[in-house]
Amino acid sequence: MNAIETINLNVYYGEKHVIKNITMNIPKNVVFTIMGPSGCGKSTLLRSFNRLLELNETARITGDIKLFGESIFDMDPRELRKRVGMVFQQPNPFPHLSIYDNVAIGPKLNRLVESKEELDKLVEWALKKAALWDEVKDRLNDPATKLSGGQQQRLCIARALAIKPEVLLLDEPTSALDPVSTAKIESLLIELKKSYTIVLVTHNMQQAARVGDYTAFILDGELIEVGETSQIFENPRDRRTEEYITGRFG
Amino acid sequence: MAVDYNIDARLIKEKIFIALVILLSILAIVPLFHILFSVFYNGLPVLLKGGINFLTGTLPPPGEELGGIGPALVGTFVLVFLSSLIGLPIALIAGIYAAEYPTSFLGRATKLLLQIMMEFPTILVGLFVMQILVIPLGTYSAIAGAFALAIIMMPYVAVTTEEALREIPSTYREAAFSLGFSRAQVVFKVLVKIAKRGILTGVLIGLAKVAGETAPLLFTAGGSTRIYFAGIDEPIGAIPLLIYQLIQQPYENYHQIAWGASLVLMLIFLAIFIPLRLKLREVRL
Repeated sequence: MNAIETINLNVYYGEKHVIKNITMNIPKNVVFTIMGPSGCGKSTLLRSFNRLLELNETARITGDIKLFGESIFDMDPRELRKRVGMVFQQPNPFPHLSIYDNVAIGPKLNRLVESKEELDKLVEWALKKAALWDEVKDRLNDPATKLSGGQQQRLCIARALAIKPEVLLLDEPTSALDPVSTAKIESLLIELKKSYTIVLVTHNMQQAARVGDYTAFILDGELIEVGETSQIFENPRDRRTEEYITGRFG
Repeated sequence: MAVDYNIDARLIKEKIFIALVILLSILAIVPLFHILFSVFYNGLPVLLKGGINFLTGTLPPPGEELGGIGPALVGTFVLVFLSSLIGLPIALIAGIYAAEYPTSFLGRATKLLLQIMMEFPTILVGLFVMQILVIPLGTYSAIAGAFALAIIMMPYVAVTTEEALREIPSTYREAAFSLGFSRAQVVFKVLVKIAKRGILTGVLIGLAKVAGETAPLLFTAGGSTRIYFAGIDEPIGAIPLLIYQLIQQPYENYHQIAWGASLVLMLIFLAIFIPLRLKLREVRL
């Protein structure tokens, strides 16, 4: 069974048609990259998967999206978002909270734990999963904003993991980071796909090539091509995909 | 040589301009320092002479005695407390609502109304409260004064709350929703806490504002110079009101009490503002 399926998905912002009839499948336990130039609709597509688009009052969606076979539009959006975690382009740990509380706030408000000990364990687990524990275990009560950009982004991954999602959406998570931090996050994603389905939006095709098992190429809201990453990069079927990966635009 | 001359001329022009800017800045702050200076100069001797009794005592008869401003001081605290009790919850909710639903009709109407209220002549607020509370109840009262002050406080608190919330980058809002939080959790557990400093600033500005108001109290609180507090349905004093009443009297000791009361009012004002500037730690975004 696929983790996510989109069926004739269209998204409009007011009159503007930003996602055009996209039908595709995202298998589970893979890194699935969505690649395309800036403004092509990748972030919009990603935000439709956890219904975060609904925060934008002008957004309108037609078609269907299924999470493990069940339409997400039949679900309570809060339940859906607990199953589909998200990491954003700019590292955005909550600036008023400590490192510990940034991870703890999700399980706390969603009542996933019953005791302080259980919460401590969950926070430690999430920070380890995000490969951050060793760097922060001695200063869990420091403000999250004291961490470096790369550490902040891994904290955001830990925050998302702490509510035990099945799918992790990442919206250009390394575009604000240096190469070393980027490499750490990329190897983390490859590790995480054993337990989660990872959907990674990127405008960086090298990144798609490095970490993606599958890659979808989006242009002007249209799905141009989707397939195994090796096939997309070595043997693209569409001329526009070839032009993009050979650097002729974007 | 012509080149050097030009540079000299420009340097002179720049010096003149800088001198002008400094002069105008001084002109702008001179009145403020004059007020601070004259209040301390005239008020401090009164306060020192009266001692603690100046803060706790009641108004003496015209003549030599200094007495105290106890009822007005108590009244100011009671009025600020009661008006906060009425005004702050409504103001915070209105500010949060306007920030959270900026495009809805009610949200836009709330914001427009708050901005009008902020500029509204405060004496008209006093007249309004007199119409709806003082006349029906048949007496000036603490509650009427507090109600008038609450109306004046609300727009300041609500508008700063709205602005503090709106300044938060939308990415935190998205992050909070992406964790499966309800709208109420996103607003109260995340956004309000990020905006804490801005909101508290608004609250304190609101408190300082109403602590110094006179006009809305004229027809509502009534004033009291000898009775400290007789119940929220009875007339009550306030420092600004007392100053206003005393300086209209022809007695020298009343004028001195007015100066002392002015200093006390200014100290209350500074006591609200200085910690506000120094202590409140900003949430770094």
